[in-house]
Amino acid sequence: MAGNRVSHGWVHCRIGSFELEANWSIEPGEVLVLFGPSGSGKTSTLRAIAGLLQPQRGHIEIGGRVVYDSDSGLSMPTHRRRVGYLTQRYNLFPHLNVVRNIAYGLKSWTSAAAGERVRELIEVLRLDGLEQRRPWELSGGQQQRVALGRALAPNPELLLLDEPFASLDMELRRIFRRELRSTLAESNVPVLLVTHEREEALALADSIQVIDQGKVLAQGNPLDVLGQPGQERVANLVGVENMFQLTIESRNHHDGTMVCVGGGLRIEVLVDAGAAGAPRQNASRLTTGPVGVIEPPTGKGESVTVGIRASDIILSHQDIRGSTARNRLPGVVTDVELMPPGYQVTLDCGQPFRCQITGAALDEMSIRPGMDLWAVFKASSCFLVEASANT
Amino acid sequence: MRRRFFAQPSAAVGVGGGATLLYVAFIGLPVVALLIKAAQQESFFSSLTSGPALTAMRLSLISSAISMVVIVLVGTPFAYLLARSRSPLLRLVDALVELPLVMPPVVAGVAMLMAFGRRGFLGPPLEDLGITLPFTTAAVILAQIFVASPFFVRSAKLGFQSVATDHEDISRTLGVSPWWTFWRVTIPLAAPSLLTGLALSWARAISEFGATIMFAGNLTGKTQTMPLAIMSAMETSLDTALVLSVLLILGSLTILVILGIFARRQWQGTA
Repeated sequence: MAGNRVSHGWVHCRIGSFELEANWSIEPGEVLVLFGPSGSGKTSTLRAIAGLLQPQRGHIEIGGRVVYDSDSGLSMPTHRRRVGYLTQRYNLFPHLNVVRNIAYGLKSWTSAAAGERVRELIEVLRLDGLEQRRPWELSGGQQQRVALGRALAPNPELLLLDEPFASLDMELRRIFRRELRSTLAESNVPVLLVTHEREEALALADSIQVIDQGKVLAQGNPLDVLGQPGQERVANLVGVENMFQLTIESRNHHDGTMVCVGGGLRIEVLVDAGAAGAPRQNASRLTTGPVGVIEPPTGKGESVTVGIRASDIILSHQDIRGSTARNRLPGVVTDVELMPPGYQVTLDCGQPFRCQITGAALDEMSIRPGMDLWAVFKASSCFLVEASANT
Repeated sequence: MRRRFFAQPSAAVGVGGGATLLYVAFIGLPVVALLIKAAQQESFFSSLTSGPALTAMRLSLISSAISMVVIVLVGTPFAYLLARSRSPLLRLVDALVELPLVMPPVVAGVAMLMAFGRRGFLGPPLEDLGITLPFTTAAVILAQIFVASPFFVRSAKLGFQSVATDHEDISRTLGVSPWWTFWRVTIPLAAPSLLTGLALSWARAISEFGATIMFAGNLTGKTQTMPLAIMSAMETSLDTALVLSVLLILGSLTILVILGIFARRQWQGTA
């Protein structure tokens, strides 16, 4: 039922002293993830789209229908917007059983068509046998599936998911992420999902928006935006483990790399923008709003911030000669810390490098503090982080 | 050593047990005494079916039932507004709701006379319309509403506040209008509190005395409810007074128990 039309819009909300400027565009079947810390305006965006929060200005289209437009004074009430809304705590109706919760939004829920729809959802969501249970007799995961079924039952034009895994434990999250993906793929309904978990965003997003303090900081392909964020604020939000203040020593215009030094480090960095032969287009640079597109500093002697993800660093006992990795730094292990799903090793190479490794690797190499190791990583694993314009 | 006195569980239990016994005896003795004395009456059933007693019972039942209908019809939307609104004016109104709880009922009766009495504010205009309130059955009902409504409004307000607005929001996103959301989500979830409030309010209305005798008087068959009939009977026949007292106690208990059963919240303890 979800049409083949894009759901898009923008809003400007003022809630007390908090200003929210959000914009979005979601294709049918697409999952757009709003990523940001709590209090960044993610939930308010969802509530504005659902009509539960009145924006100061804006224009909202859901499945090709205009449901809000401040210029023409149009504001459709929530119950006519056809959005499905899944809240963090699910909020199942405690006075209704599973079947009647799912059927709640269906017109004439006693009709044959309604019964058919409910049966279909119970099967898809694997809730067979739980039909007569009340919400408090269900596990967290079952509650989440009932809430999802309830939201999907009336065939919404847009599905809003607010931290849908927040009240599940780690193990269940992984399972339900996979389930949610397949359920959504079947229904073809566009989804706007809110989360502050990087892993969740990477697992579910077709595209991603980073939002902080009510502003969209970056948007694009999830791997680009979360993997090698180009702005300091975004990098801090997504938790880039290694960031170093360095100075550009030399630049190789031919292959688009440069050498940066500082604090005992010497790192070769691949500069993507404008470099000949550099294939990667960093989508995180395509920011909207007040941040804009800023050319990274590339002149000799200029200072830059270089970021490297902990998972992009290889640790080895010996110096790996004769490889394509452009950076090989010797160091001493100062700390080993459990950090699910693996371990984080801190290696002092003049400055501390945080490296993410698996438990098996830790055991096989018997890594412990005081050990001498080499940190190896490619030039393309290093990315420049722009200092924020307005912090 | 003195510290150990209360630290010893047996000593603490002893003090608490003694206090409990004293309290139960103090409340229980008069009730038991009343029941025993009533049972000893030889003319129990003849008193029960005596004219004035039956009339008073009928009047009490009918007037309190009408009061409850009015209280629920007006009090429910009012309580919902109090629970959901943040306007400072309504905060003030909210505080005033409890005023009848602390006002002596006799004073409430005098106040109602000053408002609706022959020489009260609204007396003359009402009289022009051919309406006289004081010393009528309508006055009985008004007096009951005045003193009993806060019990319902207060409990209903707390009930509505306990219903998460999230549930109402979700209902609306599912295509259900605010009006139907109120009936399908808000009322069922607040029902336990509404019923508890109704029980307390009804018990209070049935036992209403001070405001009634001031504003409605003590006219047999017209304004003489059971508590008033008990007072009148005490002057002539103790039998009738005792029988009516027992019936009043049993009636109030029945209301509390029945509504209490319905008010049990099945989903208590869940988010």
